[in-house]
Amino acid sequence: MNDRERREFEAGLAAEVDVWLRGEPTRRSFIKRFGQMTGMLAVSGPLLGSISRSALAQAAAQLADPTTPLGQAQAAALKASTEGPADGSAYRAVQAAKKLQGVTLNMTYEAGLQALDPRHFSGPMWEQLTGNKSNVVELSHPDQYSKPVAEHIAGSGAYDILDIEPAWTPSLADGGVIAPLDDYIAQYMNKADFDDYHPLFKALPTYKGKIWGFFDDGDMFALYYRKDVFADPKLKDAYGKKFGKPLEVPKTWEDYAQVAQFITDQMAPDLYGAGHFRKAGSPGNQFDFLQQFRANRGEFFDGDMKAQLASPAGIKTLENMIAANKASIPGNNELDAVSLWAAFLQGKVAMIYSWPPTGRMAANYSQSDTAINFIPRSSIAGKVGYAVVPGNPEHATGYSKALAADSANPEAAYLFMQWATSPPVSLARTMLPYALRDPYRLSHYKSELYGALWPDAKEYLVNLCNSANVGLLDMIMPGWQDYALSLDRMCSSVWAGADPKAALETAAAEWDQTTERLGVDSQKAFYAEYRKLPGSSADHTVEALGMAVKL
Amino acid sequence: MPARRRSRRWPAIGRFIFLGLFVAFVLAPLYWMFVTSIKPSDDYLANPPVWFPAEPTTVHYTAALFAYRGLQGLINSLIVSSAATVLSVLIGTAMAYSLARFNTGGRHLSFWVLSQRFLPPIAVVLPIFLIYRGVGLHDTRLGLVIAYTVFTLPVSVWMMLAYFRSMPRSMEDAALVDGCTQWQAFWQVAVPLAAPGIAAAAVFAFIACWTEFFFALVLTSRTAFTLPTVFRAFLGFQGAQYGEASALAIVSLAPSIALGVLAQRHLVRGLTLGAIRG
Amino acid sequence: MMSDASPALPSTRPRSRLRASFSEWSDRHFRWLLVVPAVLLILSLSIYPLAFSLWVSFVNYDFQIPGHAFVGLKNFAMVISDPVARRSLILTVLLSAADVVIELGLGLALALAMVRRFPGRGLVMSILIVPLFISPVIVGQAWTLLLQRPFGPTNYLLGQLLGHEVTIGWLTEAPWLYIALIIADVWQWTPFMFVILLAGLTAIPPNLYEAAELDGVGGWQAFRLITLPQIAPIVSLAAIFRLLDAVRLFDTIFIMTGGGPGTRTYTSSYYLYTVGFTQFHLSQATAGAWIFLILISVLVGLLVKRLVKAEPA
Repeated sequence: MNDRERREFEAGLAAEVDVWLRGEPTRRSFIKRFGQMTGMLAVSGPLLGSISRSALAQAAAQLADPTTPLGQAQAAALKASTEGPADGSAYRAVQAAKKLQGVTLNMTYEAGLQALDPRHFSGPMWEQLTGNKSNVVELSHPDQYSKPVAEHIAGSGAYDILDIEPAWTPSLADGGVIAPLDDYIAQYMNKADFDDYHPLFKALPTYKGKIWGFFDDGDMFALYYRKDVFADPKLKDAYGKKFGKPLEVPKTWEDYAQVAQFITDQMAPDLYGAGHFRKAGSPGNQFDFLQQFRANRGEFFDGDMKAQLASPAGIKTLENMIAANKASIPGNNELDAVSLWAAFLQGKVAMIYSWPPTGRMAANYSQSDTAINFIPRSSIAGKVGYAVVPGNPEHATGYSKALAADSANPEAAYLFMQWATSPPVSLARTMLPYALRDPYRLSHYKSELYGALWPDAKEYLVNLCNSANVGLLDMIMPGWQDYALSLDRMCSSVWAGADPKAALETAAAEWDQTTERLGVDSQKAFYAEYRKLPGSSADHTVEALGMAVKL
Repeated sequence: MPARRRSRRWPAIGRFIFLGLFVAFVLAPLYWMFVTSIKPSDDYLANPPVWFPAEPTTVHYTAALFAYRGLQGLINSLIVSSAATVLSVLIGTAMAYSLARFNTGGRHLSFWVLSQRFLPPIAVVLPIFLIYRGVGLHDTRLGLVIAYTVFTLPVSVWMMLAYFRSMPRSMEDAALVDGCTQWQAFWQVAVPLAAPGIAAAAVFAFIACWTEFFFALVLTSRTAFTLPTVFRAFLGFQGAQYGEASALAIVSLAPSIALGVLAQRHLVRGLTLGAIRG
Repeated sequence: MMSDASPALPSTRPRSRLRASFSEWSDRHFRWLLVVPAVLLILSLSIYPLAFSLWVSFVNYDFQIPGHAFVGLKNFAMVISDPVARRSLILTVLLSAADVVIELGLGLALALAMVRRFPGRGLVMSILIVPLFISPVIVGQAWTLLLQRPFGPTNYLLGQLLGHEVTIGWLTEAPWLYIALIIADVWQWTPFMFVILLAGLTAIPPNLYEAAELDGVGGWQAFRLITLPQIAPIVSLAAIFRLLDAVRLFDTIFIMTGGGPGTRTYTSSYYLYTVGFTQFHLSQATAGAWIFLILISVLVGLLVKRLVKAEPA
């Protein structure tokens, strides 16, 4: 390289790099050093990994103080598992599982709070009782569907127990991802436990005459309102004067919008009448729409399986929801469940309807554990009343425990499922402050221990039970994901200003496309099966069928 | 000598105001994320916003790192990204040298390699998942390293190709004349000379691996999961954990920033020396 | 600079005949040997899966419908006739074009401002390139925290600045929605343009400017006549590279808007993700991915030819 070329070449380099280049021994040593660094990292990887793993190793079950109701429930669960009654599901499961020592179960759970239950409580306790370990696989909610499907396609046997939405049961069952439980039930379970389920939840995991899972989470929507606001004499007076009827907790959606608007007019910006989780994908829109649509006597499909969304019921539903949006806290259309809870807990909103953790959070019970630190402390504890949502409340998703068809340890997996959902153990689990599992058994609703968690807890439980009595189920059919997505997209576009009728027609067209893709005749059959379930429509609720549970 | 330009179009004040504004623009989201990560939960959804919490807390950090296993994700990310970077740069440099000096395979080979960059992940993720399951590479760091090497190879090749193309051959020719083999000319002459380019390519490869989300999501589970996948866990619909997500984000910034500060000097030089020479 | 013209060379005499013939063989096939590892890797992990996915796009690979029957072009037709697919393609083009143009402009301004040394330049430089190293998921998260209502500080700040209440729905209201997405992308990728352009600017030989001054050409004209043409190849390089990345915009949309409201912020990548992984219509998603791949390849072909031409021989 002659001088001129060299100068030109180096003219483009900064002075620092020149210096660097000049140090000849350091040219290759850079690469060497870099390589050494990464080599060290690669080697230390296993070491670092094991350090972090031991820091996170499953601790012994974290039990509450035995003088508290939670502690007593946990002690009762332990007792039922070790001492009996001997025909109880918990006891039988433990005895049978003890014979299958040293199995490790892989169970999927929703990541975050839900997973804290098997990691801090049920997993360690099960190991203590039976010697079987559990690995919690934390997945985000959509992954709880797609990952088991992907693993099944690969035939990997990676999971043993799946936490699934009951609405996914037909797809997963037909796809061979989950296995029926009837044989194990006959062998190990105390059949009376089935009758302990609220009638709305009892039939949920059944499909084509078989049982495909154990229901495990009663996600009933309920209305939570500020008792102090509704009792305020000035407000009551003004309301009476304006509308000629007393101010009370609304029973219809029209009343709901009216009350909310009234409170907002009177008390903004300190307090707004209502708030909703309207954010696209949050999920929330589809549940709200489904409950109101059916409360307005809307039908999903007609006799030919054509979607009936663009009907008067649909338009009325959207109009009511728009009116409710107007009466709500600013930013309503971007709220998700968590930010709505924050608004409610900070006293900014007078009425919300949401999942059951709302009651526990409003009473400051959930916040008693440091794991729940994503929502503020409740400033409204003791001021919250409970009511049934106007019209009919939706049972929004819920969870079932299902057995993965490819599991290498089906029996051990089944026994854990039976134990965890047995009455005493499931009571302890739903009472955990950080868990998002909600009551679903009659024994939960009637539990004295649960009722002692905070002053109004009994009322809260009764309200949940009453909600379930008139509750409505999500569509339990193949394609539920697609139908729900169409509804969510329709709603969010309407909140942004799209014409309701046009949006309904678009959604109906998408529904028809989904139905056609899956086969009109088979969808018709599934729909007919779904209609038989209590809670499939407003005329067919548990109460309408005479099975209401009165507490 | 560093090129000195007489800057006339930016009166000093205007320049500093503009830079100041842009720096503020860069720092604003980072600051807010940092503050969110140390706020007690009562504060961070408060209105009017709390600019700095009265009682900062570290509970989000401990939760994110340990309860939600962010630390393990961080370590995995470091290992996988570093290893994939080394492999990608080594293999990419080798290929780029061949393409630049010998025009191996002509235009077609180079175009083919470069076009791999633009593969939509969704088209290949399921088959790769099935392959990995078949050979037992699923949820292993090794499997992810291999996937990331392939995924960053086109960019490494492209950057080093540009660099080698513009590097004069005289030093290598001199070495060959002196009796070196091709390998020696490559490894002991060309590569050291190309060190700035290699450094730049390494930085880009590292960033790509460090921030990659999709493949990690599909190809890992409980063992080899990387940092970006841990974030997905914070998006639950009943439990969006703003504090933990922010804490983890701040923690994951540290290696990135360290690398950025180290690389900053060489990044500018090594990046496009090739394309501007002429 | 270098004291002797050559670095220390190792002995060139082979130790054994076997070694000699191996080293001779490898020397002859040197160029191919260098290429082999890369090609092997790409073949196994890119080509084979691509072939598989091609098969998937021609059969039924929908989880809810059993069997893998051959369905011809039905999957492709479903994608092409889907209005959401079309709209997402248009949005992808518009958003990525806007992103690149703004990033180029801002990056150039930054590079011009930073090209001269000043105290603290190193620090500013370090700060400016930080966004490059952050996962797009985090970027989306950070901006969501800032912009979301009712708890993000942006509207509050704007309200204080402007004196009246600001109620912009940054994540739900058009056009603010698109502005928010563009801001997030610009925040992350402007430093990329900045770095490349800075390299280009500092490589312009100073004698060009000296000559121009002698000729009485100053300021703005010098910029137009010297600077711009000199950095034109770099600018096109950077723009092309960034554009080809921007068309795959996904992570920020995923976090910030979830594709909403409705399908208004669906980009092509987000659409494919929804169809493939939310609805699990894998064959339709794969067919869509192939269509997208073809479109991009055409774009790549055109632009890379420019790239290859822009490089010096």
